[in-house]
Amino acid sequence: MEVLMNKHRNVCAFLAILLVSSLLFAQGKQEVPASKANQEITVYAYDAFCGDWGPGPSIVETFEAKTGIRVKLVSSGDAIEMLIKVKSEKNNPIADVVVGISDDMAAKAYEANLFEPYASEALESIPAFLQIDGQHRLLPFDYGNFAFIVDTEKLSKEDVPTSLMELTDPKYKNKVLLIDPRTSSVGLGMLLWTIEVFGEEGYLAWWQAMKENALTIAEGWSSAYGLFTEGEAPLVLSYTTSPVYHVTYEETTRYQAVLFTDGHSTTIENVGLLSSSKNKEAAKLFIDFLLTDAQLEIATANSMYPVNSQTILPPAFDWAPKPEKSLSMEASAIEKNLDRWLTEWTKVMSR
Amino acid sequence: MNIHESGTSKGFYKAMPIPGAAVLIVLFLVPLFFTLSTAFLTEEGFSVSRILETFTSSYTIRILLFTLFQAALSTLASLMVALPGAYLLANYSFKGKRLIKALSTVPFVIPSILVVLGFVIFFGNNGFLNQFLMKIFNLSTPPIQILYTFKAIILAHTFFNFPIIMNLVSSYWEHMDLHCEMAAWTLGAKKSKTFRTITLPRLLPSIISSASLVFLFCYNSFAIILVLGGGPQYTTMEVEIYRLARMSMDTGGAAALSLLSIIITSLLLIWYNKSQKVLARTESYTLSSKRLEKRPTSTLGRLLALLYTLSSLLFILGPIISIVLRSFMASSTRSATEIFSLKWYRQLFALERGTGHMGSALEALNNSISIAALVAILTIPVALALATAIRKKGFASSTLELFGMLPMTVSSVIIGLGYFIISNRIRGGVGVGYTLVVLAHMVIAIPFALRTILPEYRKIPVSYMQSSLTLGASPMRTFFLIEVPLLKGALLTGGIFAFALSMGEINATLTLSNSAIVTLPIVMYRLIGSYNFQGACALGTILILVSTIVFVVSELAKGDSNGR
Repeated sequence: MEVLMNKHRNVCAFLAILLVSSLLFAQGKQEVPASKANQEITVYAYDAFCGDWGPGPSIVETFEAKTGIRVKLVSSGDAIEMLIKVKSEKNNPIADVVVGISDDMAAKAYEANLFEPYASEALESIPAFLQIDGQHRLLPFDYGNFAFIVDTEKLSKEDVPTSLMELTDPKYKNKVLLIDPRTSSVGLGMLLWTIEVFGEEGYLAWWQAMKENALTIAEGWSSAYGLFTEGEAPLVLSYTTSPVYHVTYEETTRYQAVLFTDGHSTTIENVGLLSSSKNKEAAKLFIDFLLTDAQLEIATANSMYPVNSQTILPPAFDWAPKPEKSLSMEASAIEKNLDRWLTEWTKVMSR
Repeated sequence: MNIHESGTSKGFYKAMPIPGAAVLIVLFLVPLFFTLSTAFLTEEGFSVSRILETFTSSYTIRILLFTLFQAALSTLASLMVALPGAYLLANYSFKGKRLIKALSTVPFVIPSILVVLGFVIFFGNNGFLNQFLMKIFNLSTPPIQILYTFKAIILAHTFFNFPIIMNLVSSYWEHMDLHCEMAAWTLGAKKSKTFRTITLPRLLPSIISSASLVFLFCYNSFAIILVLGGGPQYTTMEVEIYRLARMSMDTGGAAALSLLSIIITSLLLIWYNKSQKVLARTESYTLSSKRLEKRPTSTLGRLLALLYTLSSLLFILGPIISIVLRSFMASSTRSATEIFSLKWYRQLFALERGTGHMGSALEALNNSISIAALVAILTIPVALALATAIRKKGFASSTLELFGMLPMTVSSVIIGLGYFIISNRIRGGVGVGYTLVVLAHMVIAIPFALRTILPEYRKIPVSYMQSSLTLGASPMRTFFLIEVPLLKGALLTGGIFAFALSMGEINATLTLSNSAIVTLPIVMYRLIGSYNFQGACALGTILILVSTIVFVVSELAKGDSNGR
């Protein structure tokens, strides 16, 4: 028994030494020789941004090489999840920058009082209509327009609709794929789009009429677009930039964005500097970088438009027509009314 | 009874449920408590007003009724498809039998979005079935327009769930001895009457047990109901909870609604458990598997077996094969038409540079398999230990059983919010992330394993254990030499379900590992999110393959134990 205990002790001691030395080793490995040793920032971004195919990894690499500041990119779900995460960490903050708060969610971000104003110099090259926050708590880094994509093999040119109203025509019965605003941000974008075009008094009539024409109202963009590429219906709600993917990776122009005379609702993705950040200078440099040097990478990887007007886009973007009229709504109006709109919408659509 | 009671009340049996209970408490009950408590917190402090408002609103009641209705109907439809299959599988041996059984775990591992796509590719207006029929009969419009209606919801739920019932009922049936039926036949009862009055009542514990699982699955269904049902006219509690929690950021409202859901489903569970205990006590255990050697004798019998095999294969295989076929298609040239290609598989196994997320597919495959294997290996003993405590009568064991089943009744959105609380409290490296993910998967798998093990466990006569204990064996010896071997089949089935559930899980993995761990379903979602549906189908095919292999292997292991 005595011997056994001793053996046990020896093993424990050995393990402890191993553990400590490995910790030391790990510490030593992370050390950076330059003066930037302490310069590390943590960036929360939505999942698609951080994926291999998203703009995140390559941007971080270029930024690190350029500035010597290390960036810890944390894939953190979607905009709502990021806000909940940052909120719940208020007493023990981790992140310095949050990437990907869309304009729909802006009011929730302001309300939570998480972000600090930062008037980056890069804003001078960014059109005013994209700068949704006068106080610069949120800064735009890319944007897109909601639009319907048409399958040109299933719908002839003269049959392509030219306005939201035309889409309610009986000839589009079961030909449109919509997305539920209760479960998807793209779906929510469509709901807001109809309110921007038809106003509070008219939007429900449009949805009422669309009930017949919608083949289905999917729970998310992925299902809807999957049904579309499977040929279930020739029209799907997406972005004006969606064809860029098909042109770039599939070399086909079969799927094209349709421009409507009503104008197109805009979704603007923003970056924000957290007021709890302990490394604001480095964080600001990262934000500047996003708004300038990283713009092309963001636009192509995200299939969105760059905000910086000096960015030169590749030819595939010719298939992402820019609407003449970009529509948007005050963040506060969304915050105030969204719940009521969703309830009214559900009532009409479930009748 | 005295000996048994004194034996089981020894430390060994008492300590058994502790690990399972600990996992459930730390990873499920505590975060659930925090999330649900927000239902009572309003701006004025503690208040029940929100709860009352939610529980009495006519809108809530309407969607609650619809949710219950569609779940009940789906369960009924699954039963109708599953029971003939269970009869065939339990009583006859025929070609294709193993295949049917093996395929039954497949729906678990495919994320629901891919099931939806599989359905669309197969049953859709532009799907294989319609194109085939249109060509044969020279039609201009698709003849089968079943998608985007209420019928499609039931159809898809049946596809997803009938294998669970078929599998659980048939494995229970296999182990039921034939004495009562034989006696009835000798006494002159007709086969149909014997079945109605003797066999069916004896099967009830397993039927109720599996049907309760299916009901809860359908109750919490989400993507299938919205996409295949055709839209918001079919709204379930889960959709509403999602909307409140995620779109309106109204955690309190979502918690209140979720609480209502939990209360309703728990009441159902309590009723199930009660009936289950009474029923199972009357059943006895047998090791004989003579009945399996039979082959269909009459021509009619053979024809029916063949017909059932074919139609169920078509039904399960249709959407699955659609996914597999899609994965072999790619448009690599300038033309838009897709041709046969191994592109996605070459990328998957890193034979060529992966496009986008395909690059992390191999790592994801490794992660998925190792996590799922670990989950299966850990879930079996933990669930078995819980089952030893639950098997007995009494208030404490009923409470424990309900507690073990609870994870199934809670909306995944609410569980997700709970995980958020954990992941923010516990911080650590990837190692901690892995541990949390494995534990969370166990929480999801335990109800299943319990549902597989319990009906079998309750069949083991107490006298077996009594004899062993009287003869001087220790409780531990009795447990490992008598109970465990008798339960081998159920344990393997439970393990497979745990494996399959873990392979398909996505929410807990994302949240608890802070997205640091990629698994196959996660990569699939990312692929779909970046327009690569074929790549996602390739990963889906791998998932299908892995789960089929695991199933066949364990079926073989089970076969050995029965001396087949």
